Amino acid sequence: MEIKTIGVAGTLESSDIQIMISQGSNGIQIDLDSEVIKAYGDQIKKVITDTLNRYGIDNAKVKATDKGALDCVIAARTLAAAQRATETTDKPELEVLQ
Amino acid sequence: MDQVIDLYLNDKAVKAKWEKFLLKLGLHNFSSREVANIDHTLGLVDDDGTLVGTGSIAGNVLKYIAVCNQNATPGSRFNQIVTALQQYQFNQKIFHNFVFTKAKYSASFQHLGFSELAHTDEAAFLESGTPDVQDFLKAIPRVTGQEQKKVAAIVMNANPFTLGHRKLVQLASQENDLVYVFVVATDASLFRTSERMQLVKAGTADLTNVIVVSGGDYLVSQATFPAYFLKTPDDLIITQTTIDARVFKNIIAPALMITRRYLGTEPFSHTTNFYNQSLTNELTPKVKVKVVQRFSNRDQIITATHVRQLIKDNQLDQIAPLVPQTTMAFINSQQHILQTRIKKGMNINGN
Repeated sequence: MEIKTIGVAGTLESSDIQIMISQGSNGIQIDLDSEVIKAYGDQIKKVITDTLNRYGIDNAKVKATDKGALDCVIAARTLAAAQRATETTDKPELEVLQ
Repeated sequence: MDQVIDLYLNDKAVKAKWEKFLLKLGLHNFSSREVANIDHTLGLVDDDGTLVGTGSIAGNVLKYIAVCNQNATPGSRFNQIVTALQQYQFNQKIFHNFVFTKAKYSASFQHLGFSELAHTDEAAFLESGTPDVQDFLKAIPRVTGQEQKKVAAIVMNANPFTLGHRKLVQLASQENDLVYVFVVATDASLFRTSERMQLVKAGTADLTNVIVVSGGDYLVSQATFPAYFLKTPDDLIITQTTIDARVFKNIIAPALMITRRYLGTEPFSHTTNFYNQSLTNELTPKVKVKVVQRFSNRDQIITATHVRQLIKDNQLDQIAPLVPQTTMAFINSQQHILQTRIKKGMNINGN
């Protein structure tokens, strides 16, 4: 899946995560900002990477600002941002969320 | 539950309420130069309809952000208003934002994913989103073995590119292995950004060790240094020039191995004089600052201001001794377009 523009989803409010996806050329590169990065950083990155891979995105730059989101929220926000970045919001593929 | 609403400051009653709220929270600069360039303002109101937070947008800069934390979880209103401002920006397809704020609020913005580019005792300058300063730096060309070379930088508006600029670049080119010429990116000059870029490139094409690049949002831009483009009180100029100098010293110069910066003296511009002073204070000794006396031709100091005045006065024949042939050719071919811009109110007295 080709990234055509910058896609953003999510907010900076408590229990949410803001995901910004733009073009990349070196795999999935995640710049994560989270207060729980020590405990959950790897898990958050894994959820983002898995969701993008399932959507068919192998190269992307991701900026994630986490405010304590649950995994299901992280996946949903990632999918929404990915659809906006690939301009495919008209064909939702919710099975990506599993 | 607090609600985000639009505040229309051109409504006098709304503006009075907004100002009163900000005053209460210690923000009190409502000079027209600060308020006039606001594109949009949001407010946060509580269940009783009382204003409990606000924030504004000017281009890609967030400003006038303030919240009252009474009867609220600390931080939640701040997060809500910043999210709303970002959402507004995203809808305009602006994904890269700056904030100029009091130093004490820097941490609050960093909690929301902003990264600090520079700060002084009073102010902090942060960015968020993409492309960021690292992307900006990555896109700038390097030469092989750059870390062993003498690398210099010049930042110029080149409005337009004159023989004075040319001589400064030439001198740096002779004294260094590599020279970066950063052209101010903000489009607030008689000559448009793309035109200024083109003129600098054309006017330095023969100097093989000179790389001309855009200064982007980081070198004398509307974001780092708004005072450069507008008349401003001195204390604001000092803060902004210091921030601009620190972004250069701490981020730009090390990444490109720049160890020298060349400046032209500025006999006529108050702001540029301040800027040169700030740069000298801030950059040395890490980056050597070389201030070069303005070049003259027939006892006349060459300035772009003078060239613009001659364009306005339709005295094109007097411009030739002041500019390289490449700039002259451009002015000749674009004479009417340039004069129309002046007639339409483009200010030619600035930088």
